[in-house]
Order: sequence, then structure tokens, then C-alpha cells
Amino acid sequence: MENKQYAYQVMFLLDNEEVRAQGFNATRDWVRTTLEKHGADVKVLRLWAEQALAYPIAGRKRATYLMGWIMAGQETVSATKREMYLLGPVFRILFLREDEIPEDELGIGIEDSDIDVPEEIEEEYIEEYITGSDKKKDSEKDSEKDSEEDSGEDSGKSKKKEEAEGSASEKTPEPAVAASNEKE
Amino acid sequence: MTQEITKHPKRFDYKDIETLQRYMNAQGRIHSAQRTGLKARQQRKLKRAIKYARFLSLLPYGI
Repeated sequence: MENKQYAYQVMFLLDNEEVRAQGFNATRDWVRTTLEKHGADVKVLRLWAEQALAYPIAGRKRATYLMGWIMAGQETVSATKREMYLLGPVFRILFLREDEIPEDELGIGIEDSDIDVPEEIEEEYIEEYITGSDKKKDSEKDSEKDSEEDSGEDSGKSKKKEEAEGSASEKTPEPAVAASNEKE
Repeated sequence: MTQEITKHPKRFDYKDIETLQRYMNAQGRIHSAQRTGLKARQQRKLKRAIKYARFLSLLPYGI
């Protein structure tokens, strides 16, 4: 059976750590060789964006998007996905079949780009610091409030409440005692 | 009172996040066809584009 070729738009979501360690061009070449190994004809492969993620993936808050246009058969898609998810620094892969490759994209081809992938700021520490300081502030505020309450008019109210609770406990007998009373 | 979007794009692209966000509420849910005013086929295309964008972490699944 003849392996029919289709045009696919491909989007790869790459791990920033790997891109930073190996360099963007080396990572792009790895993607290209993997695609070609499985019989794809890579027409376009370029950097689409390096940006913050909408939700964290594998603890990462930023990632690099690599976009491509290829001509490939159906088997190439599944084989490439399988290999890349197992071996590569790839979080997500999206293959979309299109009617044809746009001419604007064909003009770009396989593009080199020198991007400086920023290191992720460890925001957890910052958050902890902020929340910790907030907690401290809150606890300070609470202690101040308590002291005000004790010194102010509310102290009388609290005393009344305590008295009411004490009287209530006297009125309502404990269940075990009540049961014994019923038996008698 | 729901407000319909009058100008729709010819094609929904998963990379065009700003356009897709017009069809979502603050919680990240897709507006109904009654609210978007799209035909059934276009509403399905919108849904697919938003789901691709969510998969690639371009849009959140929910807030």
C-alpha cells in the first residue's frame, strides 16, 4: 500500500532547561533529525515563541514553542510522537493536518535563531517570603486586636459569655448521668 | 442579558489567543453558541481551537 503524504502543521513545546543547556539550534536539529528519521520531509522549522505557560508543566512556568510544517504520512505522526515523548525534552506535540503549506511559511524555511532563554525565578521562595511576612503581620494585628478587646468594653461581654456558658453547662446534664437518672 | 459578538474571524486559529479569549468567560469556560452567535460548524471549530490552545498551555483549563 502506498504511503500517502499530507501537509502537517506541527507545534512542539520544549523544555527551557534543555534549550538553555544545548542551545536552541541543537534542539531544533534534534527535532528535525527525529522527524526525518521517521520519513517526514521538513519544510519549515522555526522558533514561534518563548513565553510563560498558562499552567505549569513538569514544574516549569516557561517553555519554548517550536513550530514547523512538514510533509509526512500518517505513520510518521505516531512514530515521531512516541519517540519524542520517550526520549526528548518535549512537553507537548501537536500535529494538525492542513490542505497545503502557506507560501509565507515556505519562505522562512529552517530558521536559525539565537534566543536567550531566561532562567526561571524561584517564585516559591518569594511567595513563601511574602506569605510568611503576611502571616507575621496578621498575627501581629490579631495580637493587637486581642489586647484592645481585653482592655476595652468587650471584656465585659466576654465575661458575660463565659458566665452564660457556665450556667448552660450546669443546666444540661451529661448524657451518661441523664441515662442513669432515667433508669432510676 | 447576553451580548453577541458581531465580528467573527474567518478562521479560528489556536495560536490567536486574544481572539479565542473573547469567546471565553473569566473562569476559562467557552461561551455557548447562543451567546457567541456562531453557527454549529463554526462553534465546533472554535471549540477545537480552544482545546488545542489549552493542550499547548496557551490558555488555562480553568481559573
